[in-house]
Amino acid sequence: MFEDDATETRPQESGLDSREQELLVLGIETSCDETSVAILSGSNNLLGQVISSSSDLHQRFGGVVPEVASRAHVQAINPAISEALRLSGVAASDLDAVAVTVGPGLVGSLVVGVAAAKSLSAVLEVPLVGVNHLEAHLYANFLEIADLPLPALGLIVSGGHTMLVNMVDHGIYEVVGQTLDDAAGEAFDKVGRLLGLEFPGGPAIEREAAAGDPGAIAFPRAMKKEGFDFSFSGLKTAVFNYVSKAETAGQALNIPDICASFQEAVAEVLVYKTMRAAMQLEVPTIFLCGGVAANGRLRVLLSEACDANGVFLSIPAPVFCTDNAAMVACCGYYRFIRGIRSDLDVNPDPNLPLA
Amino acid sequence: MLILGIETSTQQSSVTIGSEQGIVGSCLISRGATHGEFLLPAIQFLLTQSGLRFSNISGVAVGLGPGLFTGMRVGVATAKTIAQALGAPIVGVPSLDLLAYDVRYSERLICPVIDAKRSEVFYALYRQVPGGVTRITDYQVGVPTRVVGEVEGRGLDVLFVGNGALLYRSTLEDVERSDFGALANAFPRATSLVELALPRFFREDFDRLYEVEPLYMRRSDAEINWERRTRA
Ligand SMILES: [Zn+2]
Repeated sequence: MFEDDATETRPQESGLDSREQELLVLGIETSCDETSVAILSGSNNLLGQVISSSSDLHQRFGGVVPEVASRAHVQAINPAISEALRLSGVAASDLDAVAVTVGPGLVGSLVVGVAAAKSLSAVLEVPLVGVNHLEAHLYANFLEIADLPLPALGLIVSGGHTMLVNMVDHGIYEVVGQTLDDAAGEAFDKVGRLLGLEFPGGPAIEREAAAGDPGAIAFPRAMKKEGFDFSFSGLKTAVFNYVSKAETAGQALNIPDICASFQEAVAEVLVYKTMRAAMQLEVPTIFLCGGVAANGRLRVLLSEACDANGVFLSIPAPVFCTDNAAMVACCGYYRFIRGIRSDLDVNPDPNLPLA
Repeated sequence: MLILGIETSTQQSSVTIGSEQGIVGSCLISRGATHGEFLLPAIQFLLTQSGLRFSNISGVAVGLGPGLFTGMRVGVATAKTIAQALGAPIVGVPSLDLLAYDVRYSERLICPVIDAKRSEVFYALYRQVPGGVTRITDYQVGVPTRVVGEVEGRGLDVLFVGNGALLYRSTLEDVERSDFGALANAFPRATSLVELALPRFFREDFDRLYEVEPLYMRRSDAEINWERRTRA
């Protein structure tokens, strides 16, 4: 069982007591190719974090290979736990809770972090708190500003997810829209691979785009006017068709222009739908999170749109946008103080829904 | 010296607490719960029932496989993290050794066979020695007919044991004067693991925590395919 909602209790009206402010939560994140362990004091005092990525091992395959990622997690998890404790100056026996991502993600990767978290929880006799990876991405925002106002509209964009979610309150989410096919980051990876750029595609495309003209090629803005769901496979196909047409005609490809135009199409659709949802739902705050939130063009366009519409925008530092355990510990902290616990027989769920 | 043994390299998950005085308790299950669902609740059940706590455990032993990738990872990650949190030493033992040890009283050539899926098996050959068994080949993966060829070449009476032996019995029976292990020996068990690991704990012949890894015996499909493509 993931959690027992019946045991959930709301925090006291008087706010957090001093013990809650000093709670030490160890967070573990292994849902994809990052093995990360962090120790958080209270809601947002990050004492230490280790992020070990197996990204290099996946490079030649042009995408994350689940079996390769799983093997790397087994090697990396225990050194990461030791190092995070050492960096934090915390003894394992001082911990108050262990938070771990239980889904969504790659099941072979998730099981490693969950096994380690259960073991720590059982041996140290502290509660285990299972965390939803998408919820954790939203909490990356609370690492920098602890008292962010809610409700807020979260745009979660990564290699695995593209989702608009209304965070009504802590632990209360309404999914507003999501991708119907590829995630935004996945589209970056696939286009990057097509253009012969290195994996992951996001940073590589952004680097190339810096020298290109975003208006050079009119790639489609898929489903821009329809609802709040996203679709990126059509855009990806348009880039593929553009490239094969140019190659057939014997024209040299202008990689920077293709990258800039593709990036512009992705960013424009994301920003347009996010702003329209914020207006329609009358939510005054937007959280941008997930690996693609590190994209500079998306940050600029969304900031401009928020400024123009009087919406407050929170974007975590890049290290907290990509997968990390600090956000898991933060999310775990908020779940812990609401009384949420996971049992030691919790099973990772690769398709765990947010709401 | 109380040792916690964890073996999850086949569809059977098992945990045992035991010492040189005998087995304190053991739990095993072969279907239903996943390895990860079973493991910690089973360990806690054993501790509670025996009136022990984690702090009474002096060492952790783990079955390394070969076998199911996810099962091995759950077992190894759990054993390593328990050892790490306890500050206790860890010893890893290949799971084929456990199967061979279970039938150590046989004077036949001993061939533990674990189902490797994809019509293949993991296997190795052992023979009886005073106090146990000794392995006389590498750990291998191959089709059952390869096992037949390797065993026949030795011209000895053979005892096949393990779930792979049961699964491919009709093929392995081609070996003359072959015999098959009992159902009770179909899967590597944590009881044998504790027994095999105990002398290593007494000798302080521990493994380095960070270096304990499942015995995969196979690379990932992506790596195999990639090499095939780049060679072509
Ligand atoms: Zn993520």
